[in-house]
Amino acid sequence: MSFFKRKAKSKEPERVTEAKVNKAPPSPQSPSQGLRNHHAIQESAGPSHVAINAISANMDSFARGRTAILKKQPSHMEAAHFGDLGHSCVNYQQEDRSRLSKTVEHVLRDSVAIPHYVHFMEHRGADHLVRFWLESESFRATSWSRVRAHSLNSVKHSSLAEPLPASPGRTPELPQLGQHTADVLSRESSSEGPAVHMERRDSSITETILSPGTPRAETPSRQTPSRTGTPCKVQPNSTLQDLSELMKSIEKEAVNIFTKYISPDAVRPIPITEPIRNDIVAKICGEDGMVDPNSFVVAQSVVFIILEQQHFSEFLRSHHFCKYQIEVLTSGSVFLADILFCESALFYFSEYMEKEEAMNVLQFWLAADNFQNQLAAKKGQYDGQEAQNDAMILYDKYFSLQATNPLGFGDSVRMEIESNICREGGPLPDCFTTPLRQAWTTMEKVYMPGFLSSNLYYKYLSDLINSVRADEFVNVNTPGQGGPTDNERSSSNASEGSQTQPGAKRAAIKILKNFDEAITVDVASLDPESLYQRPYAGRMTFGKVNEMGQFIREAEPEPDVKKSKGSIFSQAMKKWVQGNSDEAQEEMAWQIAKMIVNDVVHQSGHDSPGKSTKL
Amino acid sequence: MTAAPYNYSYIFKYIIIGDMGVGKSCLLHQFTEKKFMADCPHTIGVEFGTRIMEVNGQKVKLQIWDTAGQERFRAVTRSYYRGAAGALMVYDITRRSTYNHLSSWLTDARNLTNPNTVIILIGNKADLEAQRDVTYEEAKQFAEENGLLFLEASAKTGENVEEAFLEAAKRIYQNIQDGSLDLNAAESGVQHKPSAPPGGRINTDSQPPKEGCSC
Repeated sequence: MSFFKRKAKSKEPERVTEAKVNKAPPSPQSPSQGLRNHHAIQESAGPSHVAINAISANMDSFARGRTAILKKQPSHMEAAHFGDLGHSCVNYQQEDRSRLSKTVEHVLRDSVAIPHYVHFMEHRGADHLVRFWLESESFRATSWSRVRAHSLNSVKHSSLAEPLPASPGRTPELPQLGQHTADVLSRESSSEGPAVHMERRDSSITETILSPGTPRAETPSRQTPSRTGTPCKVQPNSTLQDLSELMKSIEKEAVNIFTKYISPDAVRPIPITEPIRNDIVAKICGEDGMVDPNSFVVAQSVVFIILEQQHFSEFLRSHHFCKYQIEVLTSGSVFLADILFCESALFYFSEYMEKEEAMNVLQFWLAADNFQNQLAAKKGQYDGQEAQNDAMILYDKYFSLQATNPLGFGDSVRMEIESNICREGGPLPDCFTTPLRQAWTTMEKVYMPGFLSSNLYYKYLSDLINSVRADEFVNVNTPGQGGPTDNERSSSNASEGSQTQPGAKRAAIKILKNFDEAITVDVASLDPESLYQRPYAGRMTFGKVNEMGQFIREAEPEPDVKKSKGSIFSQAMKKWVQGNSDEAQEEMAWQIAKMIVNDVVHQSGHDSPGKSTKL
Repeated sequence: MTAAPYNYSYIFKYIIIGDMGVGKSCLLHQFTEKKFMADCPHTIGVEFGTRIMEVNGQKVKLQIWDTAGQERFRAVTRSYYRGAAGALMVYDITRRSTYNHLSSWLTDARNLTNPNTVIILIGNKADLEAQRDVTYEEAKQFAEENGLLFLEASAKTGENVEEAFLEAAKRIYQNIQDGSLDLNAAESGVQHKPSAPPGGRINTDSQPPKEGCSC
C-alpha cells in the first residue's frame, strides 16, 4: 500500500517536456533567481561571473523544474505524488551520525579527518599527542591480530605437544608495523590511517598465548630470541621461529613508541605520571617475556582526555575542521545523514525544504526521530502512559484522519502506527520506524539532489570555504609564524594579507570598530610594510588566462570600483574581513563552481561533457 | 511559498528554550500565525517556524526552532542549540520555579551556542497579572547581570511578542555591522543572501508557510 498515492501521469508529460525544452527558466521564479545570482556574484569583479551565473541558474532551474512538476498535485495531500520510495541505499536505522559532526572518538578513527586534525594540532604544538594515540592504537590492534593469527596457525598445526625448549633461530626481521604507521603519519596521507580499527581483545586466546609453559627469567634488554609462550608446537623450528619473530617485532614497535613518546629522554614526551610510565615498562618487558599489546592503553586514555578537554572544541571551530567538512561535502557522495545530523547544514536544508513546501516531511522526521531517540535512551525504563501521550500527539498531527498536518500516509501505515501506540505497555522506541523510513527516503531521493545543486548549498559551501580562506590568509602571508589558533572569526578579522604580527593587526582592527561604518578603510593600508610592497611589480601584463578559462588578474584592482556595488555596509565588512576580497571571492567562486559541477555530474550519474560546457 | 520567496536578505536562526509549559510554542505560534493556541499539546522534540520581518530597513527571515521543555527531551534538544544567532529564554511569570531554573537554561545556552549569540529573556503570561509570582524588577536585574535583553510578554494577547523577536534581531544585526558576527562564517546562525530588490516599504507582514508550526 503506498505511503503517498501516485497521481495519474496524464498531466505530467507536457510539463516535463516544457521544462526540458525550455532551457530558459521553466518556472516563474527563475528570472528573479537569475537576478539574484547576478547580485550575489556582482560583488567580486571579473569575467567569471557570467560562468558562475550560468552554472547557478541552470542548477537552480533544474531543481525548480523538477519540483514544479511535482507541485501540480492537490494541495490537501502535501506530498501525495510520492509513493513509498522503498528503502534508502543505506540502512536507515544505522544512520544516526553526520560525517560533519564529530566527536574525538570519531575523528581519531576517520582517515579523512585525521590529517586535518593533525595539522590543527601541529599549529598548537601538540601533535605528538595525536601521533602517540594513533601509533599506540595501531600497535595495539595489529599486535593483537597478529598474535591471534599466529595462535590460530599454530593451533592448526598443533598436536598438543608439550612445551618444547626454544631453539634460537636466526630469522629475518618482519616488517615493522610501527614504522609503517609512522610513515603513514609522516606522509599525512589520508589513504590509510591506523591500519586496523576496532579490534577487540580476546582474552581467552591471549591467555593461552601469553602464559608461558615455563617461566623465563626476565632481562631488561631483549637480545636473545629464546622465548616461547605457546604451549603447543608441532613443527618446532618454524613455528617457534615465527613466534619469536613475532614477539621481536612487536617488541621493537613497542620500544619505538616508548622511545618517541614515553621515555623521559624523548624529544616530546607525553604528559603521563611516573607510575603509568613504570607500568608501561613492566608491560613491555613482561615477566613472561611477552610484550603486552595493551601496554599503552592507560596512557592512551590519559592522552584522549587531554585531547577532548583541551583541544577539541577549538578544533571544531578551526578552519581545519571547516576544510574537513568541505572535503566531505565535495567528495561527490553526500548522504542525507550528513545533512540532517549536522546543525549548520540542517539550517540550510530547512530553508530549502521550506521553499520546496516540504517542511512537514522534515518536521515529522525531526519530531519522530527525537521521540524515538529519547525513548530508546531510557532503555526500557520509561512511563508507558507518558510515551503514549507523546506518540498520540504525533499521531494527531500527522497520521489521523483529522490530522492537522497530513502527510498522506496510507491506511496500512496508519493502522500499524495505531497498533504500535496502543499496545500494552505503551509504544516502543521503534514505534514510528516505518513512516520515518519513508520520510527519510523521500527526503533522500526527492529533495536532497535538488538541495545539493541549489544556491543554498552553494552558499553553505562558500561560507565554509570563506571561514577557511580567512584563516588561511594569515597562514599564507605570515610564513614561519604559526597561525593564530583562536576561532575563525577573530582570525578572519586579522587576515589582512599583510605581514605584521597578528597582535598588531588586531589592534588595528579594534581602532576601526569605533569608526562609522560608512568609512571604508582598508586595514592593510595601515600597515607600513605593505605600503612598500608591490607583489605585482615587474610584470608587464595585466593578466593571463588559465586552463579553466579563468582570467587571472595580475594588476591590483581599482579600489574605487567596489564601492558602487552592494551596500556600503557590506563593502566595509568585506574590506575588513577579507582585505583582498576580490581575489578571495573569485577564487572561492571558481572552486565552488568546480565542486558543484563535479557534484552534479556525479549525482546525475553520467559524465556527459554537456554538463561541463556550462562553464 | 511560491510568492516572492527571495525578498529577504538574511536568515537568522533562533532557538526558544525554557521549562515546559511556559509558553514557548504559543509564543512562536503567536508570532508566526498571529493566533493564540489555547490547547496546544506539548512539543515533541523540536519544531520550527518561520517569519519574515523588517530589521533596520532590511528584510530578515527568522527561522525559529522551538524546543521541547520536558526534561526527557533535554538531551535531544541540545543538539539544536549550536549555530543559533539568537535565543529566546522563556519563563512563566506566574510560576516561580520556571524562573528559578533559568540559570540552568542559561548555562546550556552559553555552553552550546556561539559566544556572540544574542540571548533575550522573556517573561511570558504577562496578561495574568493577578497570579504574578516573579516581579519585573528582579527579572530585569537578573537579565542585566547576565548580559541579556529582557521583556515581559503575553502570547495570549500578543503583547510584546513581535518586539521580543525584533529586539533580538536588531541586536544580531548590530553585531553584524560592528563586525563581531561574521555573517559569512558557517556556524554564525546567519544566512546572508544578496540584497533584495530595493522596495523601501515597511512591511512586517508575515508569510507563514502553509505547514508552519501548528502547535
